[in-house]
Amino acid sequence: MSSSVTPQAPAAARQFRHRPLTAVDVVQRFFAYTLLGLLVLFCLVPFAWVVFSAVDGNAGPTVQLPALSFENFIRFFTNAGTPMLLVNSLIIGVGGTVLNLVLGIAGGYALARFEFKGRRAFMFSILLIRVIPAPATIVALYLIMVNLKLTNTLYGLILVEAVLQLPVTLWLLKGTISAVPIELEEAAWVDGNTRLQAIRRVVFPLVGPGLGAAAMLTFMGIWGDFLTPLVMLQSQELYPLSIGLFRAFSEHNHVDWGLLAASAVVYVVPPAVLYIFVRKHLLRSSLGGAVKG
Amino acid sequence: MKRTPVIAALMATLVAAGGLTACSSSSGDGDAVTISIMETKQIGIDAVKKLIPGFEAEMKKQGKNVKVKLVGDVLTDPQFVTKITQQFIAGEAPDVIDLGDSMVPGFAGAGYLTPLDDYLDKWDGWDHYFPHIQKAMVRQDGNIYALVHDSGVQNFFYRKDILTQDGIDTAQPKTWDDMISRLEQVKAKNGDLPPIVIPAGTAWGGGSWGEGFQPILAGVDQNYYSLKTGKWDLKSPGWEQTFDLYSTLTTKGLLPVQDLENPNPWEPTKYDKFPAGKLQVAAQGTWGWKFDWGPNGATPIDGLETKVDTWQYPAMKSGGETYGWSGLGSSYGIPEKSEHKDEAMLLAQYLSSGKPLAQVLVASGAAPVRDDIADIKPFADEPKLVQAGKDLASSLYVPTGDGSEQIAQAVANATELILQGKADGKEAYDSFVKNATDLLGPTLVK
Amino acid sequence: MTSITSAPARAATASPPSSPGRRGPKRTWPLVLLLLGPGAALIVLFIIVPAVYGLYLSFTNTQLTGFAARNPQWVGIDNYTYLLASQDFLSSLGQTGQFVLFSAIIGQTVLGMVAAILLSRPWVRGKGLFGAAVLMPMIVPEVVASLTWASVLSNNSAGTLNRLTGLFGADPTAWLQVVPMVSIIIVNVWRGVAFAMIMFQAALEDVPAELIEAARMDGARALQIFRHITLPLIRGPVFLYLLLTTISTVGVFGLVYFLTQGGPGGATRLAAIYIYERALQFAQIGIGSAASMILLAIVLVLGLVYVRLAKVEV
Repeated sequence: MSSSVTPQAPAAARQFRHRPLTAVDVVQRFFAYTLLGLLVLFCLVPFAWVVFSAVDGNAGPTVQLPALSFENFIRFFTNAGTPMLLVNSLIIGVGGTVLNLVLGIAGGYALARFEFKGRRAFMFSILLIRVIPAPATIVALYLIMVNLKLTNTLYGLILVEAVLQLPVTLWLLKGTISAVPIELEEAAWVDGNTRLQAIRRVVFPLVGPGLGAAAMLTFMGIWGDFLTPLVMLQSQELYPLSIGLFRAFSEHNHVDWGLLAASAVVYVVPPAVLYIFVRKHLLRSSLGGAVKG
Repeated sequence: MKRTPVIAALMATLVAAGGLTACSSSSGDGDAVTISIMETKQIGIDAVKKLIPGFEAEMKKQGKNVKVKLVGDVLTDPQFVTKITQQFIAGEAPDVIDLGDSMVPGFAGAGYLTPLDDYLDKWDGWDHYFPHIQKAMVRQDGNIYALVHDSGVQNFFYRKDILTQDGIDTAQPKTWDDMISRLEQVKAKNGDLPPIVIPAGTAWGGGSWGEGFQPILAGVDQNYYSLKTGKWDLKSPGWEQTFDLYSTLTTKGLLPVQDLENPNPWEPTKYDKFPAGKLQVAAQGTWGWKFDWGPNGATPIDGLETKVDTWQYPAMKSGGETYGWSGLGSSYGIPEKSEHKDEAMLLAQYLSSGKPLAQVLVASGAAPVRDDIADIKPFADEPKLVQAGKDLASSLYVPTGDGSEQIAQAVANATELILQGKADGKEAYDSFVKNATDLLGPTLVK
Repeated sequence: MTSITSAPARAATASPPSSPGRRGPKRTWPLVLLLLGPGAALIVLFIIVPAVYGLYLSFTNTQLTGFAARNPQWVGIDNYTYLLASQDFLSSLGQTGQFVLFSAIIGQTVLGMVAAILLSRPWVRGKGLFGAAVLMPMIVPEVVASLTWASVLSNNSAGTLNRLTGLFGADPTAWLQVVPMVSIIIVNVWRGVAFAMIMFQAALEDVPAELIEAARMDGARALQIFRHITLPLIRGPVFLYLLLTTISTVGVFGLVYFLTQGGPGGATRLAAIYIYERALQFAQIGIGSAASMILLAIVLVLGLVYVRLAKVEV
């Protein structure tokens, strides 16, 4: 099924409604909003506990009327070393994502434009290997890292995290780049561009959507990983927040619920910010193009 | 190990000045050695931090130049085990590691720790250790792999004030029947709520075995594991009797089943209801005096020393002895791959003797495994801890080896069945035998 | 999957004008190496090598701790025969299958599709907010997600769900004890709807609106339009999504573990939890690796099925 429709076409093809609202339409809309509302409730209600407990001076494990106070947040930020956890997470997250995207675009382009032996096998194997749970592979991974002298360093961890998320990024970007018709690049060559120039001028602007999706998934994957940093790092000053969250547990095995909830709130902010930033591209991810001819 | 720019600059200068080769763990003038010690609980970190200067000074007096680096890494036990295992394998572990007793057999067995017997034989401090503790530290191959520095005695902590108020006898229950009747009285006088918490079920994790089942089992049977053969005897009579006891306690409504099925079951029980007086008896170790309910503990109880007292474990049948159960607490281990074993051992010995030890014990609420600490301040000022030390001298301990994790899992599963009313004692025991046999594999089962 | 056809094939033979003549695959190798080389090498080093080592371990009885750790032996397929005969492991596979089927293949897909369709209607207001709300469950760390649901499903009367049912006069229920599988399925659906929604929104964007309008003019109703026009056009992305979500759902560990520890009585012991218990808790890394390989094989088969289904009729 081939399609010469460029990514901009569908938007232009949306037509203005030229029929007045009928009763059926009103019912449909009401139905739609109700469904959406229920879905949103389903997604947000469980968070009531996090929100209430974060501002609750006497937080417990269940939802209760909070004794309003910001002391949990204050404790979170003044606790020695906690801001450092946040900074580390940001460094690892941003660094890992950037590295991941660079490798991903380069690799994705090669996978999309060149047909070579073993390409299919490569694509499938890197995706399926993710099925093997981390506990089974962490032993070997750690030994490799030790031999490369990359343990207990942030840059070593960034490298590993970027690579661990690479398979999904390669799939996404390969699909995105495949959807950019080669004719556009060829036209650029005709105009006298070299291959690399053509890539920069033609392909880059059009891979925004796929790039956004990959950035989001990669960042969230790295942001939430705690097993890899736990094993790779030894100095407490390097720990990311994903491990720091567990601090609220380990002391006396007694959970500081309020602190945990406040930490969770802070923890969710960066990915949320990234999402808002990426949203425009995300909604237009031309993943559909991955399976058009 | 991370190198800071300062140390790098210092080394560069020294290399230039003295032509000395800098290797990864030495710095400064000539023959100085840096060793690292790892603590995973904040209390341990704080305590050891204060003691390091004293050690370094002591070393200087002996003409040795030893510096100590404290690696304070606050982690949960499973996280710590995962991490340190990798480090052992790769040779990256710190020189002295403070390990929980349950972890030692696994690491010792795998060969990650260095045997300490030679060091101990030459050490005069060793003679002060309780003989049964010395024996308990010996592993399957006849070596000692870690130096125990503290211990807790496990008992039943009970709300003496509430029982007295209710007019219930607070003398030591001699047998479980005695204990059960006492508990039923307490229950009747306190809103018919379950009066006792013993770790049980799957939510409590490893504690269901270590702090719940194992002490009770020891009272009736000490032959369930053979250190010589390394096998578990699942047909040993004590197992079924203990499961029967759990079944009795559950059917009489004496255990807080709903709370035990919570994700963090110690929260509503030990940290909520016990301090509030809504739960009157808790299976607990010595550290409860400090760690859990002390002034700096998780949930302090005002007037702890007058409100709470301890009972030893009752005997299963009349004619038996009451007893305390000593879990071996924490030990210092030294990795086999450490490059500074001598210095590491000196640090471990320093921290396990005299005043330093007294300070650490008071901080974490533990009892010493030596006979010469009771008079040393600040330990001497803690009557409850001194009492625990005395109890320790006569307490029970059954050392185990490979497979304790599997047993813990099987016990948790079987007691879970009892809690849910899905099995009585015998059925739970049968299910336990099946589960444990499968998890342990043929080599570990008698 | 069908992208592995026309466009790239032509690309391989096309070439920039500055280089003479037709380019066969030989001359493009340097470029491929340059672009894909570093990424591929790193993937091999950090992902493939450990996996291969895991494969090796699966044929041994290696332990990480305990006396057995001193002497690992090659045991051939013993681990595999043990696992395939083990009631515990087979149950965990069954439970994982249920979990994947109901939460990922059905739950997330249906809800995600519904959300995507609803949000593709031009007249809907507040798309951004809806999208952000649905996204929240996905970006929250696993530990927090588990604790959140622990507070909802809590077995005492303060649990959120119990408060709701209490409004209707019901007694507090221990949800995680009574309906553990259903509970974790709902939790996982909650967690993954956003991913489905995002994938489908993108896919729906590329369904030409004219086709739908034309069909509507012809009197077709919404459901018919969906079945006969939309669905065939988005078949590809749907299967890609199913593949990705199967892979990631099979690996779900923390979300369930922190909530149920695999209980009660192993009712929610998913394959990933089983592997964690064996590999890390009991340090039986040989068996843990073998279990991982079996899991991998199953997902491989599923993946091939998906690919086959996606290719048909396209």
